[in-house]
Amino acid sequence: MTGGADAGANIGAVHPTVDDPIDHRRHVSDYFRLERWELPSTGADDPPVSLGGRAPVDGHLRGPGGGLRTGGLLTNLDSLGGFASGLASLPRWIVTTSLLATVSELVHVGPLRFRADVLRLGRTSVVTALDVVDEGAEERHVAAATMTCAILDPGVMELDFVRPFSMNMPPLQPDPSRPEEFFCIDPGEGPVTRLQLVDRLRNPWGILHGGAIAMLADEAACRAAEAHSPAASGPNGVAAADTVLHYLRPAKVGPVEARCQVLGSRAGRTTVRVEICDVGSDDRTVTLGSVTVLAV
Amino acid sequence: MAFNDYPPPEHILGDLGMEAELTTESTAKVRTRVTPFVTTADGGVRSGVLATLVDIVGGAIAARVLRPDWMATADMALQLVGPVHGPWVEARGSVARRGRTTLVIEALVVCVDEDGTDASVDGKPVQPVAWASMTFSVLPAENPSSSVQAAGELPVRWAFEGGGLERPILEVLPVEVLDATAGRLSLEVRPYLYNSFRAVQGGVIALLAEAAGAEALGAAHGLDGSRFVITDLQIAYLALGRVGPVVTSVRIVGSGSDGWSGAVVELRDTGADNRLMTVVNVSGAPASVLAGAAT
Repeated sequence: MTGGADAGANIGAVHPTVDDPIDHRRHVSDYFRLERWELPSTGADDPPVSLGGRAPVDGHLRGPGGGLRTGGLLTNLDSLGGFASGLASLPRWIVTTSLLATVSELVHVGPLRFRADVLRLGRTSVVTALDVVDEGAEERHVAAATMTCAILDPGVMELDFVRPFSMNMPPLQPDPSRPEEFFCIDPGEGPVTRLQLVDRLRNPWGILHGGAIAMLADEAACRAAEAHSPAASGPNGVAAADTVLHYLRPAKVGPVEARCQVLGSRAGRTTVRVEICDVGSDDRTVTLGSVTVLAV
Repeated sequence: MAFNDYPPPEHILGDLGMEAELTTESTAKVRTRVTPFVTTADGGVRSGVLATLVDIVGGAIAARVLRPDWMATADMALQLVGPVHGPWVEARGSVARRGRTTLVIEALVVCVDEDGTDASVDGKPVQPVAWASMTFSVLPAENPSSSVQAAGELPVRWAFEGGGLERPILEVLPVEVLDATAGRLSLEVRPYLYNSFRAVQGGVIALLAEAAGAEALGAAHGLDGSRFVITDLQIAYLALGRVGPVVTSVRIVGSGSDGWSGAVVELRDTGADNRLMTVVNVSGAPASVLAGAAT
C-alpha cells in the first residue's frame, strides 16, 4: 500500500520542520511539476469528485521512448488519482492498493493533461478512472488507467482543504536530477534492481511513495528485459509501457529491491513479472505486478 | 458439481468443462480443454476465456482462505505472453496478500498435457503463457446477498460438468453485435451466465469486453473483429449486472504503426438505469502481427 494522495492535505505530523525541511505532502509530485485542480460538478450524474492535472515533459524526465518515462507517468496518475480518491473519501483518507495502466503512446510533446474521475465510492474502497492526453500533440491519447484505494481512518491527520482545490505548477528546478538519481535507484543491470529508501521519498504516511515504487518497477523491468535478451532492444533501447501494480504492504525500512522474471516476448513486447520486497522488513513483499517492456 | 445449487445444470462453467483442485490451503489450479470454440484467429485461447479460468481459480482460493466470509471480484489484470494452444490450459493461483478487507491473488497460466504435466517443446517445459492478478473484496459472512455459504465444504477436487461447447463461445453466450465500429455489443442476462450472486459472472464480463474491444479495434484496422486478438485485459468491476441487457461501448485510445492498439471498454446494465458495471482497458494486435511472434 502506498499513500499516493500526497497533495494538499494539511497533515500536521508531516509539515516541514527545521529538522526535516522536506514537505512530504508534495515532494515527489513537485519533482514532476504536477499542477492540479478540482473540476466543478455539472450535474447529478457527475462523479463524486473529478480532478484535472497538467505536467510538462521536461528534458531530464524523458526516457528512451522519447516521452515522459512510464514510471513518471504512473507517479502522476498515482498522485492525481489518489488525491481525487481521498477527497471523495473525506473525512477519512486513502492508500492506493492497485494501479492498472495501459500506455498507448511513449512519444510525447507535452505538456500532458490528466483527468481523474471517481467511479465508485464504497464503504472500504474507492475506484477512480484516469486518462492522459498530450496537449502538445493535438490531444493525442497517452494512457488510461484505473486505480483502487482502501479507505482508512486518518488518525491524527488533519485534512483541511480549500474547495474547489487547486495547486499551481511548481517551477523547474535548476539542474534537476534524473529520475534514477532522484529516486535513489542504484546503478546496475540484470533482473534485480535496488532502491535506497531515504526519508525524502516517504509520503505523508511515512512510507515509501507509490511513485517511487512505480519508477523502480519501470527501471527494473527494463533492465531485466535487456539482460534477458539483447534482441528485445530497439535502436534506442527499451521502455516500459502497460503496468499493473498491486501495493500489498507498506515499504518502511529499505533498501527496497525489485526482483524480475521475464515471462516471454511477443511481437516486440516483453512481459516482465515484478516482485518488490522491503529487504529491511524481513524481506517481505510490498508490491507485486507486471510491466510490458517495448523495444524502442 | 454444484455448491448450494451453484452453478445450475445448464451453465457456461459446465460447458467449458473446468476441473479444479485445491493444491494447498492457499493455492489452487483450474484447467480446461482447448477446443476450436474458445480460440481466436491466432489459434490461441481467447483472453476472456483465460480470464474466466483465472476468476475461478481465484474464487476457489478465496473461498477457502476467507471462510466463513465470502468475496466479490474487485479487479483483474491478465496479460497474454504467447498463444495458448493446449492441449489443456491451466491457471495456477496463489495468495499474494490476505488483508482485512481485500485478498490479492496471483495466477500463472500454463499449457498442460492430458496427464496434467506441463506441456513441453523439445523436452523443455514451455514458459507460462499468461500472467494474471486479481483483487477480491471481502464480504462478511452475514452478508445475505451471497447464495453460497458452503466454502468450508469445498472438496479438494471437483469438476463443473456440462454438455460441452458445440459452437464458438461468443455464439453460445450469445453476444449480439449492434455496431462493430463503435464496439456496441449486447448480452442478455440469464441463469446460464450467473455467478453466485445471480449476476453476470466475472469471466463472462471479461469475454464480452474482449469481444467488444476486438470488434472496435479490428474495425479501426479494416478487419473483422475475429481477426483482431486482445492480449491484455485490465478490469475494474464496479457493480453487478443483474437485469440486462448488458451493452458495451468502446473508446479507442491508441493505434500504433506496429499494429498494437488499445481501447477502453465500458459495460452498462441497460435494465438498471444504464448503470456503469465495469471498465476494462484492453490492448492487442491483428492476428497477422502476432502470428509466430512469440518467443
